Amino acid sequence: MAFILGIAFIGIQEAGAAVPALHGFAELDYGAKVSDDNTQRDNFNLLEQRLQLKAMYAVAGENYFAEKSSVLNFKGDFTVDEYFSGKTDFELREFDLSTTPYDWLDLKAGRQILTWGTGDYLFVNDLFPKDYVSFFIGRDDEYLKKPSDAMKMSFFPSLVNVDFIISKFEPNTIAEGDRLSFFDSFQGGIAGTNSDRDLLEPPLQPSNLEYALRTYRNSGSHESAFYYFRGFDKNPTSYKDEAARRLFYPRLDVYGTSFRGATLGGIGNIEFGYYNSREDSDGSNRLIANSLFKILTGYEKDLGNDLKVGLQYLYEQTLDYGNYKANLLSTDFVFDESRHLLTQRITKLYKNQTIAVSLFNFYSPSSKDGYVRPAVSYNITDQWKAAFGANLPWGEDDLTEFGQMKKNKNVFVRARYSF
Amino acid sequence: MKIIKIFIVALFLIFGPKFVFAQGELSANDIIAKSRLSFYYAGDDMRAKVLMELINKNGQKRVRELTMLRKDYAQGGNQKYFMYFHRPADVKDTAFMVYKYPDKDDDRWLFIPAISLVKRIAANDKYSSFVGSDFTYEDVSGRKPEEDTHTLLRKEILNGTDCYVIESIPKGASEYTKRISWIAAMDFLPLKEEFYDKQNELYRQFEAQEIESLNGIPTITKRVMKNTKTGHRSEATFQEVEYNLGIGDDTFSERYLRKAPVQWIK
Repeated sequence: MAFILGIAFIGIQEAGAAVPALHGFAELDYGAKVSDDNTQRDNFNLLEQRLQLKAMYAVAGENYFAEKSSVLNFKGDFTVDEYFSGKTDFELREFDLSTTPYDWLDLKAGRQILTWGTGDYLFVNDLFPKDYVSFFIGRDDEYLKKPSDAMKMSFFPSLVNVDFIISKFEPNTIAEGDRLSFFDSFQGGIAGTNSDRDLLEPPLQPSNLEYALRTYRNSGSHESAFYYFRGFDKNPTSYKDEAARRLFYPRLDVYGTSFRGATLGGIGNIEFGYYNSREDSDGSNRLIANSLFKILTGYEKDLGNDLKVGLQYLYEQTLDYGNYKANLLSTDFVFDESRHLLTQRITKLYKNQTIAVSLFNFYSPSSKDGYVRPAVSYNITDQWKAAFGANLPWGEDDLTEFGQMKKNKNVFVRARYSF
Repeated sequence: MKIIKIFIVALFLIFGPKFVFAQGELSANDIIAKSRLSFYYAGDDMRAKVLMELINKNGQKRVRELTMLRKDYAQGGNQKYFMYFHRPADVKDTAFMVYKYPDKDDDRWLFIPAISLVKRIAANDKYSSFVGSDFTYEDVSGRKPEEDTHTLLRKEILNGTDCYVIESIPKGASEYTKRISWIAAMDFLPLKEEFYDKQNELYRQFEAQEIESLNGIPTITKRVMKNTKTGHRSEATFQEVEYNLGIGDDTFSERYLRKAPVQWIK
């Protein structure tokens, strides 16, 4: 971080008066809660003001970084969160330097958003951190992705492209009971502020760095990729100490591949990932998540008149399920061996594409749960945008992915002024 | 490619007068084919800053500003486009890439910087609006002459320029049922186009409002598409147009979607 600040300082000094233009937005978000639960507030789960500022600076002057087409990028959010009684905060979302030392190499160092893979709201080989609290309360899609402190190296030899990322562990932001209720096995059901879990992150040390690799190639209208990840599960799926209600993020390796291209008049994709739970590779430890595999396939088509539809199917299977079952205690909750998940997205644009009406639907026939996300947004002018929508997770059981979120249903509105 | 062009220019210089004379004998198909090349395939590549104003019938204006790069792989054949958005603020730094094939659906990619996502865009509807404007994707990147039956209706002087007036009737399903084009006899640029719907009513009208010669290539620097039914219109101004820059093939790649090619995008 200090290094990037140094470059920023040198760059801006040399550029003299050239101050990069500041852009961003100011917005107000309000999400009224429909159902009653045991969280901090009964009538809303989102009420905040946000000011995002961003600036980009192409390093100028007579120096190495200017010669190597370097760009400094900054993006930060100031928030006033009424959910937590007007708590003010600043989140540095991006602060990175990208540079091209050689024709065949790009580097990007610092805090950055990382994304890859072929899914729509579903992730198989994208093991970068996510913020599911933002997702479930209806913040803009941008906030589903959390930034990583990372060094990204992109190699461009002639045949395939290679991305290699070294990053510091950053967990997913998930429901913890204060704002969103969820299934807490220590509480034996859906919990709110009564949840008192202790989430133990791997300490920052060289052996706990994460590595992510992607090689990809485009041939004509099709692109294929291979992925490798070595790091930690981003969710606290495993138990360190049951009596102390302490959970941890187990070590995880993921091997995967994807393929995407023009299919049947639309875009088709398929993605596979094998998750190796390194601390429980035979699945016999009931306290640590088992290995699993995921296969995702999707299809998107433009039906004309600004109407698009997308469908996805995800299959997940826990491996060594027999060992998992055999080692459970009689008091343990039993999770299913496999899961089928279907999603559907419909988007229709009206009035010269200024109004977008969309419906995203998750549905799992095996978990008997789902999550409906209708939304309407309107670009009133180039500066002003209004959006409203709803987050409607549901489920028969309390311990499934969406079923545990069922008391968090909300209806939200957002007004944003961009500049 | 350049050698061929120099050769054609040389031919034109030598046989110029006869060539102009010969134009009188051109068929409607020839005129449409030449028009497509001079409008959509000028130079081997091009860079321009495009300012697009979308204006509704009450005069309310929205602005799109983007840098556009185009590279041709064969005259009348495959092309690649790269677009980088400067305005409005909510799409700033978004990049859009299109591989255009005359004989099949485009390949389109969108880079959304806020989530660092490169997304493939389903693109089988060439009549959908380009960035909310009155221009369709087909208006922006062209249509194969063989898709319509062309008839030379007459020759006419439009705003002091000799024009061929050509009627084009789609052979298959299309957004329009009839298109009338006024094509300049001199440089084959389309000066005006009228699009008619199923009721044979005019619903869209194109006009080339400013033409300049840039790097020796006649270029429409201001074009307007008006939806005559809704009163909405889109005015596109092409600024800083440059041709034959030698834009590399690798510019049109995921690499530069993610990291804007600063050499071209100023």
